[in-house]
Amino acid sequence: MSDVIKCPVCGESNLPDQEFCRYCQSRLQPLTGTLKGADAAIKPGQVPTKKNTAELEPILPQWLRDARDSARKSAENDAAQAGRQSQESFSASSTPDLLAGLQSQAGNEEEETPDWLANITGAAPKPKKPQADSPEVRWVELGGAKDFAQEESDAEPFTPSWLEGLAPTEPQSDELTDWFQQTDNSQKSGQPEPQKPPFDTSFSAPVEPAAESGDTPDWLKKMAAESAQSNEALFDDSSKTFDAPSTDTPDWLRQMAAEAGEQTNDPNVPASDASDWFQQIAADDGSKNNNAPVISAGTFDAPSTPSSDAPDWLRSMGDFQDHPQGAVPAPGAEAAGFSEAGFGEPEAAASSAENLPEWMKDFPSIDNEQSAPGASPSWLKGDAPASSAGAELPSWLSGTQAPEQQQAPAQDEAAFGDIPGWLKAAAPQSSVYETPSAEPTPAPATLSFDSPDWLNAFKSIDTPDAPDEVSPPAFTPDSQTSENMDALFADMPDWLSNATDTSPSTSSTLPPAANAEEITPGELPSWVQAMRPVDTGSSARSSSTSLSSDQTLESRGALAGLQGVLPSVPGFAPTSKPKAYSIRLQASEEQQAHAALLEQILAAETEPVPIASFSALTTSRGLRWFLVAAVFAVLMAVLFMGTQIFPMPVGVPPEINGALQVSQSIPEGASVLVAFDYEPARAGEMEAAAAPLFNLLRQPNLTFISTNEIGSILAERFISGPLADSDKSGFQVLNLGYLPGGQMGIRAFAQNPGLTSPQLAGITSLSQFMALIIITDSPDSARMWIEQTSFTRGAIPMVVISSAQAAPMIQPYYDSQQISGLVSGLYGGAVFEQSNGGIPGITRTYWDAYSLGMLLAMVLITGGGLWNLVLGLRNRTSMAGGTK
Amino acid sequence: MVFSPDLIAGVLSFLFTLLIFSYLLGDNPLFRIAVYIFVGVSSGYIAAVVFWQVILPRLFTPLTNALLSGSMAEKVFMLVPLLGTVLILMKVSPRLAGMGRIAMAFLVGVGAAVTIAGALTGTLIPQVLGTINAFDMIAATSRNIQSFEAIFSGAFILAGTIFTLIYFHFGARPKADGSMQRFGLIEMAAWVGRVFIGITLGAVFAGVYAAALTALIERISSLINFIGNFF
Amino acid sequence: MRVFTAVIAIAAGILILGGYFLQNIFPALADVQTLLLNWAIIMAGAATLVGIFNLISVHTDKVRRREQGSIYSALLVICLVAALLFGMILRPDHSAMKVVMSGIIIPVEAALMGILTISLLYAAIRLLRRRADVMSFIFLITAVLIIFSSVTLPFANIPGLNTFGRWMTQILALGGARGILIGVALGTLTTGLRVLFGADRPYGGN
Repeated sequence: MSDVIKCPVCGESNLPDQEFCRYCQSRLQPLTGTLKGADAAIKPGQVPTKKNTAELEPILPQWLRDARDSARKSAENDAAQAGRQSQESFSASSTPDLLAGLQSQAGNEEEETPDWLANITGAAPKPKKPQADSPEVRWVELGGAKDFAQEESDAEPFTPSWLEGLAPTEPQSDELTDWFQQTDNSQKSGQPEPQKPPFDTSFSAPVEPAAESGDTPDWLKKMAAESAQSNEALFDDSSKTFDAPSTDTPDWLRQMAAEAGEQTNDPNVPASDASDWFQQIAADDGSKNNNAPVISAGTFDAPSTPSSDAPDWLRSMGDFQDHPQGAVPAPGAEAAGFSEAGFGEPEAAASSAENLPEWMKDFPSIDNEQSAPGASPSWLKGDAPASSAGAELPSWLSGTQAPEQQQAPAQDEAAFGDIPGWLKAAAPQSSVYETPSAEPTPAPATLSFDSPDWLNAFKSIDTPDAPDEVSPPAFTPDSQTSENMDALFADMPDWLSNATDTSPSTSSTLPPAANAEEITPGELPSWVQAMRPVDTGSSARSSSTSLSSDQTLESRGALAGLQGVLPSVPGFAPTSKPKAYSIRLQASEEQQAHAALLEQILAAETEPVPIASFSALTTSRGLRWFLVAAVFAVLMAVLFMGTQIFPMPVGVPPEINGALQVSQSIPEGASVLVAFDYEPARAGEMEAAAAPLFNLLRQPNLTFISTNEIGSILAERFISGPLADSDKSGFQVLNLGYLPGGQMGIRAFAQNPGLTSPQLAGITSLSQFMALIIITDSPDSARMWIEQTSFTRGAIPMVVISSAQAAPMIQPYYDSQQISGLVSGLYGGAVFEQSNGGIPGITRTYWDAYSLGMLLAMVLITGGGLWNLVLGLRNRTSMAGGTK
Repeated sequence: MVFSPDLIAGVLSFLFTLLIFSYLLGDNPLFRIAVYIFVGVSSGYIAAVVFWQVILPRLFTPLTNALLSGSMAEKVFMLVPLLGTVLILMKVSPRLAGMGRIAMAFLVGVGAAVTIAGALTGTLIPQVLGTINAFDMIAATSRNIQSFEAIFSGAFILAGTIFTLIYFHFGARPKADGSMQRFGLIEMAAWVGRVFIGITLGAVFAGVYAAALTALIERISSLINFIGNFF
Repeated sequence: MRVFTAVIAIAAGILILGGYFLQNIFPALADVQTLLLNWAIIMAGAATLVGIFNLISVHTDKVRRREQGSIYSALLVICLVAALLFGMILRPDHSAMKVVMSGIIIPVEAALMGILTISLLYAAIRLLRRRADVMSFIFLITAVLIIFSSVTLPFANIPGLNTFGRWMTQILALGGARGILIGVALGTLTTGLRVLFGADRPYGGN
């Protein structure tokens, strides 16, 4: 293997220790690879770190929350359901619900493996809580709770009823039992003794396989169904398989068979036993499970032609299950039955394919089963040959395997050649075919030396602790012929093939190193290669350890939910029962930190941030009421009394003087255009400012126009108001009304007044007026009139009578001599009034109040401003001190 | 008792003035009632004014005359504003508002041109010339203004105009820290411009206060006069 | 539609500008300008009606949705419709409409303007508490001086005060006001040219 990694995306070479491509940043190491730091994978026996992820609950998807809720409920109901669960059997009419598996997983994190299986795996069995593993959620996916009631009631407390007829009584210690006990005693010294027989919770074990069945691909379910339909053919083939001598049997098996032949000469006995227990199944269970395919005894007795629909490997599975040893994976069969096709042995064959990762991954832990003396089921005890060292196989096995062993060496290469190279590397069978011929015959004292490599692969990593102990295959796949195995692994998908070989035995004395050399990543399918949890650089190493038992539950990708599908990292061989992976969110510290940071960001976004300046925007109602009282009191007093204490202004500013000169220069009876462009709000001011000028005109011919909608009626009011009060009764008024359009209207009117206003027929130019008076309160209005009439008015004077507020912005036009005069506000009116001979007018009435109001404002602004300045400085000083 | 229009107007004026003044004590329903009535009456009155003083005399009457006795050109010329008016009124309906874009485009184009010409010839050039002419000694003498005073005043006006314009110059260069900073001299001139603007706005404030005070005086005077009519 | 509206706006603007600056060369442009301006006047009047219709629809929707303050909206609509009907029937220059004008419109607006007196005083007094910087001082000092210079004292005038006040308003304030006017004119010129060049399409052609 090269020391560089070629990026699958860009094809560039990268160092083997790089996780991401340095050219395209693509991931080089598969996500299933070894994780580091906080994300490191949990090692066998390590309890996952408890993390408080309650705050992350709301972000879970709804389906996941529902699943978790159901799991909690089921956990709460465990105690109540446990009693019934022990009496109930499960129906095989499972609902293929993906979420159902999650429910059962959530609710049975610790009980998803049966005790007997846990004992097999060597894990310290916990004190049994029979009531703890019968959640209703299982029945939701597995069938009705009552479907198994009869079955459980008929069964012995710890043994299924269908095993009663099959298994001898406990005192009848057979060879395999002894062998199991011996190996267990020697291997499992430090592990606690199982407190209950392994089958006391055997029906709880299928929960997880059943859950996984929900995750089983449809094609696999279909295949299972097909296999269920063709179970007769399968069993027929299986009978043939057992009848026919296997040519693939290795030497060690032959040796074992020879030894077993001393005790059992009839190799068909196990088959008959199998028929018995199958018949019992049919009698006890099959009739009770209407939904499940009922398997009658005749099914096994009457051979039938193999179903052409069933794949070969499935047929081989059926053959395999037809073998009495097929009873060994009964839990797996139960799991299959729970999940899909019902409770029946043939269904177990089909379902075993579906749940192959589950039950096959259980095989490697069989080694650990040795640690449980009583872990051997009774039926197994009865079937297993008595052998203290395990060198002896059961009679049925010896009988059936003996012929196979004779031809096994010859067929090794042939069968191996049928398997793709990558499968050879991945499958443990590769060692089966190689090691017997390559390695010397192991000593019969230990089965690990006697058994082929693939069988050694079933040994757990605990085996090195007890090298002398044998690992008798409770489930003996070697009973299958090599053809069946070839067909099995030739038709099995990649992941399933990998699942079968996920039992690398690091303690194996015959490591499949030579075979591993043949495994090249290039031969693997890309998707399998990508999902291999080992880095590319260690592919050989991983392949060498591919025989270790891998109980890793895939948590991501297309294989999520499957267990033991991908080879694990070297050295990872669980010594205990597979860890129960909870669906509860397990977030690392880094993830939690990121989540907390995200929450802080979101909280900051939603949290209203007070604006500091708002705090100072407090209004002082007292000050406001004081101002109201002061101003109103002064003004009302002055106006009510009608005082004339304040003298009128005497000085005449230039702009007012210009207006005065214009008004005086207008000849008698001249046409004067007057624009009323002010709002009603300033009518009082404008009327007071304009009245003195109009009083100065001599019988003018006034033309009123307004660019304000209200201006026309304000003109009427002005005519009937201030002008009516004067003695100037000789003027003529023409109110043109509203001139819309603003500047456009002014321009149109200035361009041709007669055309724009039909009342001015004959007046074609603005210069035909003698003067232009603009009464406005807005600098914009004055500017528009000034700008738009600059082209057409010629030399006619323009006087602007403005509000005091507009005067500063109109003043530049007077300074630039664009207007002839400017009278602004009450002050301008007062000055103009004074210049008009001192005739008392509106301005005189208002002048005292105006002057007092202005003085009051000056005093209040000055005094109040200074006071508030001091307060403001004090506040700022106090705030600065507080800050320090 | 005869309810003359002036009496009714006086009563209404007195009543509504008090309602509005009630706002000095705080926002209250009476104030809101007066304001809403004012808005409604003003809008209705404006609509009537527009119809009677714009639509009818400038559109319907010429259109009728053109259709009855006008030439084809007159008819076409009067149909165009009718079409434009219809298009403008289509903006009332959200579904037909898109059709109003044509008339609005015409109005905007005409308004832009009028504004350009007015600003250029009515403000920009005259005000620049006015700033320059502030130093015209002949003109100052004709207005009885001494040369020193004219130069002094012209300099301040020139400075105020230039610095104010500089204040409205917002061109800046990015600094090293990413912030924007105006050129140093521009920044100093802009600060001086702010002083002139502050003085101008102070003058405007005084004018606004004077106008408001005059309006308040007028209202209080009307209240006193109304009450005085009954005594 | 976008191109059509832009063409209309640009063409109308160019014709109007031609009427301003080229009527001595092409006298017909003055007539064209007048014609176009009269059309625009009519359309501007119609636009005012659109605004009033919009006001009616807004407040009618408020009444229909029974929003908070819908009673005021109902009052507004009723008064609007009534004034419109009376105005349409009696004409705006009718004495009844003058009563409405003198009794409601002018008093309300003038009173609102009078209330502004208190608000301005309040703001000026509180200004230094919020912002005690140079500009605030300049602003208030100018205002106080101009206010003080625009009144007469009962017994004697302060010498030079009126002159100083006038110098501030007609020299210092004039400089700032002229700068503002020129700035506004430049802005108006730029905006108008952008419209005529089609860069800005405020009529909805974007």
